[in-house]
Amino acid sequence: MKRSKTLRILSVVGLLIIGLIVLLPFFWMISVSLKPATEPFAIPARLWPESPTLANYASAFRPEFRTYFLNSMIVSGASVVITVSLALFAAYSFTRGQLFALSFMLGAVVLAQMFPHAAIIIPIYKMMRSWDLLNSYTSLILSYVSITLPVAIWMLRGFLVKLPVSLEEAAAVDGASPMRVFRDIVVPLARPGIISVAVYVLIITWQEFLFALSFTSTNDMRTLPVGLNDFIGQYGIRYGELMASSVMVSMPVVAVFFFLQRYFVAGLTAGAVKG
Amino acid sequence: MKHYISYAALGAALMAQPVFAQDVTLQFWDNQQTESGLSDVQKAAVDRFMAENPDIAIEVTTIPYPEYQQRLLTAVQGGNAPDIATLDQIWLGAFAEAKAVVDLSDRAAEAGLTRDQFFGGAWDSAVYEDALYGMPFNVDVWQFSFFNQDLLDAAGVSSADLSTFEGLRAAAEKMTGDGKFGVGLFGHAGEDTVAVMNSFIFSNGGEVLASDGSCALNQPEAVEALAYVQDLAQFAPNGILSASSGDMRELFLNGSLAIEFWPALEQPTLKSSEINWGFVNGTAPEGKTPVGTFGGWNLAMFESSEHKDAAWRFMQFLVSEEVNGDVVDLIPANTNAAETFLAANREGPDQIMAHLNNAKPRPLSARYLEIADVQMRLYQDVLSGTNAQEAADTACGEIDAIN
Amino acid sequence: MTYKDRWLAWLFLAPTLVLLAVFLYYPMIGTFVESFYSTSFINPNPEFVGFEVYRKIIASREFSEVLWNSVLWTVGAVILQNILGFSTAMLLNQGLPGQGLLRALFLLPFILPGVVTAILWRFMYDPQLGLVNSLVVRLSDAENAVAWLASADTAMIAVIFTAVWKGFPFSMLIYLAALQSVDREQLEAATIDGAGPFRKLIDVIIPSVSSVILVNIVLTLILTFNYFDIIWIMTRGGPQDSTHIFPTIIYETGFGQFRFGEAATYGVFSILVLSVLVALYAIVQRTTSNRRATS
Repeated sequence: MKRSKTLRILSVVGLLIIGLIVLLPFFWMISVSLKPATEPFAIPARLWPESPTLANYASAFRPEFRTYFLNSMIVSGASVVITVSLALFAAYSFTRGQLFALSFMLGAVVLAQMFPHAAIIIPIYKMMRSWDLLNSYTSLILSYVSITLPVAIWMLRGFLVKLPVSLEEAAAVDGASPMRVFRDIVVPLARPGIISVAVYVLIITWQEFLFALSFTSTNDMRTLPVGLNDFIGQYGIRYGELMASSVMVSMPVVAVFFFLQRYFVAGLTAGAVKG
Repeated sequence: MKHYISYAALGAALMAQPVFAQDVTLQFWDNQQTESGLSDVQKAAVDRFMAENPDIAIEVTTIPYPEYQQRLLTAVQGGNAPDIATLDQIWLGAFAEAKAVVDLSDRAAEAGLTRDQFFGGAWDSAVYEDALYGMPFNVDVWQFSFFNQDLLDAAGVSSADLSTFEGLRAAAEKMTGDGKFGVGLFGHAGEDTVAVMNSFIFSNGGEVLASDGSCALNQPEAVEALAYVQDLAQFAPNGILSASSGDMRELFLNGSLAIEFWPALEQPTLKSSEINWGFVNGTAPEGKTPVGTFGGWNLAMFESSEHKDAAWRFMQFLVSEEVNGDVVDLIPANTNAAETFLAANREGPDQIMAHLNNAKPRPLSARYLEIADVQMRLYQDVLSGTNAQEAADTACGEIDAIN
Repeated sequence: MTYKDRWLAWLFLAPTLVLLAVFLYYPMIGTFVESFYSTSFINPNPEFVGFEVYRKIIASREFSEVLWNSVLWTVGAVILQNILGFSTAMLLNQGLPGQGLLRALFLLPFILPGVVTAILWRFMYDPQLGLVNSLVVRLSDAENAVAWLASADTAMIAVIFTAVWKGFPFSMLIYLAALQSVDREQLEAATIDGAGPFRKLIDVIIPSVSSVILVNIVLTLILTFNYFDIIWIMTRGGPQDSTHIFPTIIYETGFGQFRFGEAATYGVFSILVLSVLVALYAIVQRTTSNRRATS
């Protein structure tokens, strides 16, 4: 009994230390975002600015920034919907298809995850160009769906493997068509998995940089991560505005995540356990 | 009958020649250097051009430096380049060799645009294999030694001392300590590092490439300069290998840095600060004149442009004496425009002019970026204590293998 | 779905296969082909050169540095991230008060965009202005702070720490979920047998989550190996190339220096090295689990 008490105290201390390491950078980010541009940086660093101000937020929230925000929402939103749907179809085939070729295909899907993006971006750029898709939402959505699909399928497959086949078989015996079985039984049961994959795709696409940089050329098509880069000039970084924008950029994902994290945990668990 | 038709066609073509048959839209890409409010002035100039040339519309896209190179490259590779873009002087060789940009020699000669209207170094940076591939747009020079007057006064150092190698070292030594740093050397893997280090080499009579194109960094003048900077680095803040000139700005602005190396572009930032500052034109050994490294941008027209005549009209407009000063945040490459611009916007215009006229360009090679990569490694090796001669020999081996 | 519904399996799979073929496999095969040509921006008419570019790269000083750095970066970050993730999951799995809130807070770094993470940490590490060193200076008598990113000896450690900071919540989540599937009865039986917490960990918990550990490590291995944003923004591969890894060298060679052929070759090497790492891990994992099964 005594031993378990010391263990608990040690656990709390451990958690506090980890918590400190995790949260300190966020604290610093907010602190810098509140520092007036005219207040020089102190040495050693001051934890909190002398006269905090929201001015950086005001100047960072430019009209372009709102456009970037909207673009990011559209691109990420569409990618989430499409990736999740396609991954669900594919994962269902992989788990229920009973085809030898499928295990080979699954290997190919996992392998695709290993391709370095910097090496494949120019060929993709040329394709987009020939289809006249450059500087469009479509070009980004197509790329994002492709790069997030492999992991999405892997996660959903793990989830579907765990679902009892008996329900589907019973429905099939009752005369339901395969499509019906899929729509009325598999999709509702897989909902936690679907939500977790959606969050994964959202997080990845919300911060994607390389494709967004290469495929968008005008201000009205840029997404947030590329827009953030505007604060980094040839000769320096404007930290205050950058941190203010960063806080704003992170906000939507944080919000979504806090609402959905329960499902995300459940979905990841399934994917990992049965992977 | 056949003849009549071709004459008719010829006639129609001739009629169409003076005025453009239909309105054209030009894509113009520019580097977004600072947030100096330039875009408003630039916009006014572009509007003026469109008013004077109602048949041409201009779409301006400004791109931050860190992404500009990749953007241009992917665009050219994908056959989607703009009509006109500003190219960093150091990129021009590659774009010319790749036949991505148009040889402007004839057009320039026809329009009476000649070298003497621009800074010589800027014009030369647009010349590749005896042909002119760009119009000099803006320039600056690394480095001016900016100093904190209060720190100099406290240490009893005169700003004139900073102009010589010996004086700079002694001053830096005096002003280092108590949380203050004498000199803001920086050595991250970037062109600002290359430009400043080159300037020390140039000022000591050294070169990056000799006239025959072979590497000259391991020659005595260059090695001496490298060893000098290596020694000077002890008076710099910690961690210069990951620091850029921009990182040093914060230290200078909070008063903990006595001397910093920047182009004249830094002046507006310093003017709006509380620091009591001044500058001298770089540093050279006793009795020699400091030689800076040229930097800046050229306007280039892309081969893929379908509106080359219209593009050329716009380029001439941008580099003309009346307009050039309004559309740049560095210094106009047009010397007359530069004089007006410096008098209106910069402290010490004559001093800047002298440094500009004395500056040297970086190697004009299609493979400059590979050379610069080796140089960055060399400078980092030297700043972290490797023997200058040995590091330079290694670097020259690699550079000579490129050429 | 039954045997006679196989058309449905293919129908469901078709869009995915098309997308992956067009946007991942086709470009990658193109890159593979390009690696045998002398392609560069300034050389519009590439020639077939066989393994010439491969030879050139293997002989270069950069290649061995990049290879070593990539292994160090990947293995270091993966091991630390998994150890920290596992430990945190253990700590959060004891029914302590407030652990739900902590779990949510610990996930924050995972959500923060990579670009922002890198800029934030670059600034945190700043030897004069950064928070890390200001704490070091305040808490100890150290006169001068350490310039973490500016020395070839410490830069890799610093970027790995950042990667672990950003990546560990992901591992933590997966382990946390796995721990909830550990058999309670088995744990209680071990307690009755007088096993301490450490013995329980070794004998009961780790064996029952071993499949999760396997998947988790392979996934983080792949994601870390190809992770570009953090190193590129924090160090650009420097100082003195001490943090250059495959993704950064591919980007720098291709986009920074216009040498597409060499970038493609580095891309092929990159996949080879990553496959070897994954295979090595699989072998190690299999032998240890076999040993455990037989002992």
